[in-house]
Order: sequence, then structure tokens, then C-alpha cells
Amino acid sequence: MFEELLEDIAQKNALREVNTYLKLTAGLGAIILCLLSSSFIPPLCIAVILTGSILFLARVDARTYAELFILPLSFAVMSVAGIILIYGGEEIFWYWDPAPGFTLSITRESINQGVYVFCRVIGGMSAMCFIALTTPMTDIFVVFRQCRVPDAVIDLMMIIYRTIFILLDQVIQIYRAQVMRLGYSTYRESIYSFATLCGAAFIASWDAGDDLVRAMDARCYAGKFAILGENRPIERFPCLVVAAFLSLSTLVVIAAGTITII
Amino acid sequence: MHIMEGFLPWQWCLVWWIIALPCLIYGFYQLKKVLAADREALPLLGVTGGFIFILSSLKLPSVTGSCSHPTGTGLSAISFGPWITSVICAIVLLFQSLFLAHGGLSVLGANIVSMGIVGPLAGYTVYRLLRDTSVNMYLTVFLATALADMFTYVTTSLELALAYPAETGGIISSFVLFMGIFAITQIPLAIVEGVVLALVFKYIITLKPDILIRLRIFSEEKINAARSDL
Repeated sequence: MFEELLEDIAQKNALREVNTYLKLTAGLGAIILCLLSSSFIPPLCIAVILTGSILFLARVDARTYAELFILPLSFAVMSVAGIILIYGGEEIFWYWDPAPGFTLSITRESINQGVYVFCRVIGGMSAMCFIALTTPMTDIFVVFRQCRVPDAVIDLMMIIYRTIFILLDQVIQIYRAQVMRLGYSTYRESIYSFATLCGAAFIASWDAGDDLVRAMDARCYAGKFAILGENRPIERFPCLVVAAFLSLSTLVVIAAGTITII
Repeated sequence: MHIMEGFLPWQWCLVWWIIALPCLIYGFYQLKKVLAADREALPLLGVTGGFIFILSSLKLPSVTGSCSHPTGTGLSAISFGPWITSVICAIVLLFQSLFLAHGGLSVLGANIVSMGIVGPLAGYTVYRLLRDTSVNMYLTVFLATALADMFTYVTTSLELALAYPAETGGIISSFVLFMGIFAITQIPLAIVEGVVLALVFKYIITLKPDILIRLRIFSEEKINAARSDL
């Protein structure tokens, strides 16, 4: 029912003390390189390197990491299947014409395109997970403030961030209580219980908001939250590693060109 | 379900960011106006964002047994209007990609357009059209949230179709195909979400109607009438 928040892992991963900008450069750089690549090989290389660093450098549990991919990949498989069927091409392996103006076919080009998109998703996902699993949101707030994101937006983000954890605890408690009272035994029942759960969450979040106003007033809130901006110094070794990773990946992107799988 | 990282080519990522940004900036100005008028609005907006996040991290009891999440944007669109919802949604989508690995960073623009702009706009339009008519309040909430959901998925399909048009029939036939893939899971999901949120609404009317009166979602008479029916 509930998914584990990556934030909990990020707060205690082994790369927590590395400078935030370095981690963001590595992750965002990898995403951009995956998108710019026109072959399926570079995204796979990036995925292997980043997965390795998530598992061995950040010491994230392999099972947790694998589970992150199940949902997006099942969606990716469906959509990639769609792309393979409609993309078309010259060298046709299979062909079906169910209606005029609507043709399904599997061709060499469409398989290449499908594999390429699928690998790009794997590469991009691993780069995003790298950021999600190594950089806690609290560090990203500091970066946002340094990048001059408007105060109102940052404050809103911080309140949302805080509310998520308060609400999640309450929702889990209510959910367990409902399960114990057979709240999800039939489909009809489960819809009703789910609605009660959401309604209770809404009212609870409203009350949390009211409490927050009072607490903020009591502490003289005047439109800006103070953040402790402790960013770690950029050390030479991690910096070199990130630079090596990005330049190597760029080389692979250039060298791979437009190599296709078949 | 959002488009995931790496699925769209970079040109389309850029296009959707360019479409999303003006809406976000407009939403931000509205947000500032609301905050200047009422300081207490900030925590309320914040908890709404938290609520949307929690709602979308819950798995809805689904008919097909597939992964389905409610989007939760309908309720926020009704409460705060579509533009402020787009800002909240952008933040929630960022958190979803970093907390749950749903969606992505390069495709954030595309997801903001579908879930944060088009869906809430559709829901809000339905709500505004039906608010002052004699249509049942719960039916209004049901239609607004279900349609916000449907339009989110129609837009997602359109985004996918534009990026990957079919060889024969072009964008239209790939749009039909992607709609077909989504329809299996999303039409039941939209209906279930509409029903759930209408029930949520009933629950709030029973327990804490002052919230709805303060947000001016429906007129006081209508809410009092609904309360006396319970």
C-alpha cells in the first residue's frame, strides 16, 4: 500500500557528505547525455556506472533499488511496445492492417527505435535515482536558495515537505486500523474505506496547517524561513571522479554515434 | 502514471518546458497575490500540496490490479483555482520524482502540462459551469475530479503521440494507440477517483463543513442544505 520514501534512504546514504553540487552535476549531466545520445549503448553504460556507484559507493540496498524500477519499467514496456508497432520502416518482419489509415508492423527500424527508447529510460531512471538516493531534499533546498528561487516558492516547498511526513504517519495509522476492522474485505468496502482515509487525511492536513500558522506566528514568521546553509566543501578526489565520469560518458556518446542493435 | 525519465526526446522535453513555464509564472503571481492578501494561506497551500502527494503515493483499489494512483489535482483545482494548483503540482511532481522515482526531471515540463495544467483546468471549468446550477454538489465534485483525471491522461497520450508519430496515419493513429493502452487502466481509475473524492467531500461536509465555507467552494446555503440531508 505504501511505498518507501527515498528520502529516508538519502538521509543516511554513504555519499551524504559529498558536496551537493557535485552530485547534482553528475546526475543531471548523465540525464542530459542520455537524452543527447543517438545510440542505445551510452545510456546503458551510464546506467551500469551509476547503478554501481549507488550500490557500492552510496551502499543502498540492492533489493530496494531494484524495486524502484518495477513500476516505471512496466509502463515503459507497454509504451515501447506501442512505439515498435507504429514506428514503421523499410525492412518489414510482420505486418497487420486492421483498418484503413491504421497499420501495425514490426520492422528493423522500429525494433531499433524501441530498444533505443527503452535503454534511454533505463539510463535516465538510474541517473534520477542517483540524485534521489544520494541527495536529501534538505540539501536541495539550500541549492534552490543559492540559485535565487523566489522565497515564497521555497517556503511552500518546505511546508509541503514537512506536511508529507506528518500526514504519512497518520495515514498509515488509519490504514492499519481500517485493515484490522476488515475495512478492505470487499471491493465496495475498500472504496468506502479509502474515501474515509482520504477525507481524514484532508481534515488532518487542514488542522496541521492551522497549527503551523499558530506556531509560525509565535516565532515571528515574516515571509521567509531561515535555512542552515551548510554545504560541504568540494574535495579534489570526488570532483575528479565526477569529471572523469562525465567526460568518459561524453566520449562514449560521440564514439557510439548511431549504432543500432540489429 | 506519469511519463518517466528519458522517454521523450530532448526536443520535446524542451517544448513542454517552454509551454509549462508561462503558466507557472502566472500561477506564481497569483500565489503572491493570495499571500499578500492573506498570510494564513501559505500553510493551507502547503498542506494541500502534502495532501496531493500523499494521495498520489497511495495505491487506489484498482479493478485491473495494475498500478494506479489517484492524481488528487481535482480537489486542489476546485479549492484554489487551476493556476495556483499548477505551482503546487510542479512542486509535488518534483517531490514524486525524488521521493518515489515516479516521473522524471527532464520530462517534468511535460508532466506539469498534463497533470498540473490541463487536468486542473478541465476540472475547474466543469466545476465553474456546474457550481451555480441546481446540479447535485457531489455530482459536480465527481465530474470535476474524474474529468481532471481523464484530461490528464488524454494529454499524456498526446505528448507521447507527438513525440512518436506513426508512419501511417501520423500523430492521430499513434494518439489512438496510446489512448487505447491507457484507457484500459485509466477510465476505471478516473471513475473510481471521482467516486472516492465525492465521498471524501461528503465526509468533510459531515465533519468539518467550515473548511468548505472558508474556501468558498460552494455557497453556504448549498452546504447547509447538504448537511440537513445527511
